Amino acid sequence: MDFIDYYKLLELDKSASQADIKKAYRKLARKYHPDLNPNNKEAQLRFQQINEANEVLSDPEKRKKYDQYGKDWQHADAYEEAKKQQQASGGRAYSGGGFGGGQGSYSYSGNFDDDTFSDFFEEMFGSGARAHGSGRGRHFKGQDFNAELQLNLSDVYTSHKQTLTVNGKNIRLTIPAGVENGQTIKIKGHGGPGVQGDPKGDLYITFNIVNNTKFKREKENLFSNVSLDLYTALLGGELTVDTFAGKVKLKVKPETQTGTKVKLKGKGFPKYKKENQFGDLIITYDVKMPTNLSAREKELFQELQKLRS
Amino acid sequence: MNLEDLIPTDEICARYKVKRTFVSSLYESGLIEIITVEETEYVHCDEISEFERLWRLHYDLDINLEGLEAIQHLLRQVKKLQKQNLELKNRLGLYE
Repeated sequence: MDFIDYYKLLELDKSASQADIKKAYRKLARKYHPDLNPNNKEAQLRFQQINEANEVLSDPEKRKKYDQYGKDWQHADAYEEAKKQQQASGGRAYSGGGFGGGQGSYSYSGNFDDDTFSDFFEEMFGSGARAHGSGRGRHFKGQDFNAELQLNLSDVYTSHKQTLTVNGKNIRLTIPAGVENGQTIKIKGHGGPGVQGDPKGDLYITFNIVNNTKFKREKENLFSNVSLDLYTALLGGELTVDTFAGKVKLKVKPETQTGTKVKLKGKGFPKYKKENQFGDLIITYDVKMPTNLSAREKELFQELQKLRS
Repeated sequence: MNLEDLIPTDEICARYKVKRTFVSSLYESGLIEIITVEETEYVHCDEISEFERLWRLHYDLDINLEGLEAIQHLLRQVKKLQKQNLELKNRLGLYE
């Protein structure tokens, strides 16, 4: 676990007054406050760090301990024990004590995670050292949880049930077909517990959908490129193509050009929360030229060329 | 509207230890909705998260009402742009 330079975090030097600390903290809190930086994990992390720095530096007792031991914080307890023994045997008095209270700490149940203090903080000041809330009152419901769920595109073609473990609890939920990459859904009442009978918080799940198929997707429409041999493209014919729901036979018109698009209505992706409604599958033909021509084939193509010129 | 989903403003003031004028001024600025049923004012429970955010910004960061209005407006724009950005990123997948 690394030493954290709280002064550096608040962009202060060690001689900073309490007013300087307050000013620096407020300035940075306004910049990185999670309410002002929606969906910005970096800002959230930075806010937690400056919150922790403020927790220590704005409390004279904590600041004293931090300043005294600095990088040797791991030996703080040993030093204190030695001092106590010294004091008992007539040595210099030590005024160290518990670390309660604190000022300006945040306690949230908003749509972002609660402020988490670093291992360094917990180790140096103990897990009970952080000030809980600013004492202004409590919330109406439990904390909202945020979770990210990675799924394959093929998984969200149909609605399915999945069990998630959130904060040690198993939650079985139905993932609706057609959910989009980056979409967030709210599961009411699956967040943190409420206090004294208050409602539970909500669970927000953001989907990260990985495309494991050969199709490309835009909302409910799918796109794919299909290779077509020269002769079918020229003379027309039948072709079997893959769709998400299986194979389908297509009639190819004579003289089909490369890049020609064909829309297969209703063969796309399911529309989110619209039962039995599907987007379209758009196929783009890619006409492949024959290679490794035999002498006879070359001859015939030359003949065709002559007919055209 | 289900009365169970409504929270009396008096209860909100007591719970969050805020003055009634704070809730009223949020309403007057159009930042939250207040519903009146039989002379009692309520806030819908779905609006509590928004209220809490405004409450934190006001009390934690010392942002005044005008600032809250500007922030709410800009946050809406940020969210709209984030949504648009996500849609465009998903669309970009078509050309990769």
